[in-house]
Amino acid sequence: MNQRTFSENETVDFVIVGSGAAGGVLAKELATSGFDVVVLEQGPWQQPSQFTHDEMAVEREGAMLNTGVEPYQSFRITDAESMRRNPGRGLLYRRGVGGSSVHFTANYWRFRPIDFKERSVLGPISGTGFADWPVTYEELEPYYTKVDWEVGVSGAPGVFDPPRSRPYPLPPLPNKSSGVLLERAAHSLGLHAQVAPMAILSQRYDGRSACMGCGHCYAYGCEFGAKSSTLASVIPKAVATGRCEIRADSTVFRVEMNAAGRTTGVAYWNKEGKERRQLARAVVLAANGAETTRLLLMSASPAFPHGLANSSGVVGSHIMFNGGSSTTGRFDHPTNEYKGHVVSRILLDFYESDPKRGFYGGGGIDARFNNGPIGFAVNGLPEDLPSWGSEFKRALRDYYTHSVRFAAHLTTLPVASNRITLDPEHRDQFGRPALCLTYQDHPDDMETKRWFRDRTQELMEAAGASRVWNQPVLPIDSGVHLLGTARMGNDPRESVVDRYHRAHDVPNLFICDGSSFVTSGRGQPTMTIQALAYRAAEHIARFARSHEI
Amino acid sequence: MCADLLSRRRFLAESGGAASLGWLTFHLPWISALAGCAREDARRDVALTHLNPSEARTMRAFAAQILPSDDGPGAVEAGAVHFIDRALGTSSFAEIAPLIRAGLAELDFRASAFDATGGFASLSGVQQIAIMKRIESERFFTEARTLVLIGTFADPSYGGNIGRAGWAMIGKEDHDMYTAPFGWYDSQSGAAPAHSAA
Repeated sequence: MNQRTFSENETVDFVIVGSGAAGGVLAKELATSGFDVVVLEQGPWQQPSQFTHDEMAVEREGAMLNTGVEPYQSFRITDAESMRRNPGRGLLYRRGVGGSSVHFTANYWRFRPIDFKERSVLGPISGTGFADWPVTYEELEPYYTKVDWEVGVSGAPGVFDPPRSRPYPLPPLPNKSSGVLLERAAHSLGLHAQVAPMAILSQRYDGRSACMGCGHCYAYGCEFGAKSSTLASVIPKAVATGRCEIRADSTVFRVEMNAAGRTTGVAYWNKEGKERRQLARAVVLAANGAETTRLLLMSASPAFPHGLANSSGVVGSHIMFNGGSSTTGRFDHPTNEYKGHVVSRILLDFYESDPKRGFYGGGGIDARFNNGPIGFAVNGLPEDLPSWGSEFKRALRDYYTHSVRFAAHLTTLPVASNRITLDPEHRDQFGRPALCLTYQDHPDDMETKRWFRDRTQELMEAAGASRVWNQPVLPIDSGVHLLGTARMGNDPRESVVDRYHRAHDVPNLFICDGSSFVTSGRGQPTMTIQALAYRAAEHIARFARSHEI
Repeated sequence: MCADLLSRRRFLAESGGAASLGWLTFHLPWISALAGCAREDARRDVALTHLNPSEARTMRAFAAQILPSDDGPGAVEAGAVHFIDRALGTSSFAEIAPLIRAGLAELDFRASAFDATGGFASLSGVQQIAIMKRIESERFFTEARTLVLIGTFADPSYGGNIGRAGWAMIGKEDHDMYTAPFGWYDSQSGAAPAHSAA
């Protein structure tokens, strides 16, 4: 793609670290507002034509993921344990222009008003950093609407929707068998299935192709540009302003500071591993909850001995992933869920935490069956069925095309001791310390998973499945939603950024990505990450124009 | 040998070996390097090169018990053995190859208890199944089973799933795009979702 380029010695207005869900939006908005912007992205700039349907490369080996490039991550349950190799898949995100918005499933649930003020409504929860957000749903609503229309979201109003100022720009994607069965189950139990809002184009929109139903949304990149990644939606517009350079294969390792306590830009490694710098009047970190953390901790200095912008000590802490549990069912007629988009109906009756349950937690349930043939053959069948032989072969044929999963997407509590730190014993190819996750599920989070597993089982039975089996409820050691590690707040002693995403400790450093979250929401964070990014960009541009940076 | 295999080997070394049960769900950086090589070999109809004839016979019999050719093509017809032969031939596979080879030799050794002179492959199906049941919790079995399944269901560019026989086996239509309705229930929507303005 032809784009304006900037010299490294030139002081640009903004350098943005990361080009994913938040970074792409920030780049487009700040460049459109007239500022010179350089985006540094540690992965490559792939074009949609380079994306494949190869399950082995994409799902099994993580060709697009950080773990395909940097396989070592550490894990421990508590600080008392020594760091060991993460037994699961670790902290997962995609490296490349568009970030994880390229391979996500594209569930675009808004948060609801309660998500921003649960602490006030429910009271404190012991052992946690459960807190209200410094923004409200009402403040964020115009930006949710902006996401709908700018990136392209398909949907229809549902019974549990929060207030919205404008309808969806695109009608819903077709209802799938999984969605019909969730509707059927909900109806028989007196519950309410509703259209799933999806960041996938149901019709041609803004010069982009409609969804072609290829069946490779989850974990894959969309070769049609119909999935509303920032790669397909806002990044081309950022580049078209002539004021934004997307510099791929550029791995930032330090935010640079001057003696006055202001950042002067960043230091990074280019594709050849050579050290480079980019000067900037302000720096915006949008590198995701794991990499933003690593960068802040690696930018420690005598003035910031515990990491940049970390006078509070909470950088990296309170990590939240969104718990999950699920039930699968086999039906008498073909569901063929391997075709088309992943989710068409969701159920939000259990969204809010209910004190009568005796624990904190809430969530939403969706209907899907996104198993590739290899993964399904290896361990997708109910455990009591044979795992080899003639019966195994018959079961694969029967279940692969006849199954549906009801999956719950849940709250996780922000706990200070659950956090990302650096493992100095293991380093990546550049010499960066590996990420270490310290994580122990809060007891309420485990209760929430079990409770929702019972609900998905009831729903699956009510849907009329001829065979129902649950996936085990497990503690968390890995995740793709990397939330809360540089949380927003009004109190600099307890948070990293203020309500405008400005670091409490550094006036010209902004942080906006999943790390900004105060609480986890219910499972689908990207819509809120992008609403925050649109709002942050507006305020950052205002500060820049009025010389308040 | 494909050029990028070399760079991929480094990652395997760094990951401390990927040869546990988890390797399927972790990362197999080496295996995509097979894709280009296998595609070339398949085009030229190259015979098995890394399994010796005896190992190949045993591997074929094992694969045929994992996904039999009873009511339609099984793992052998899908080319799983061809895929495994290619995989074992990469030096990236150095850690698993001895395990697989030893496991195949053990199958032949166990066959001798049935007075078989032609190894595991010469046994009756019932006898083969009896032996496999005895070892199905062993690591060799798990790894070899997984390889058979990858060889059957992975993209044909890896050298197995010939003619997309694996996908046909499980009833997956093979198209790049699909148009709704996708499944039988799609049109059965009873209660229309609430489309009224919110």
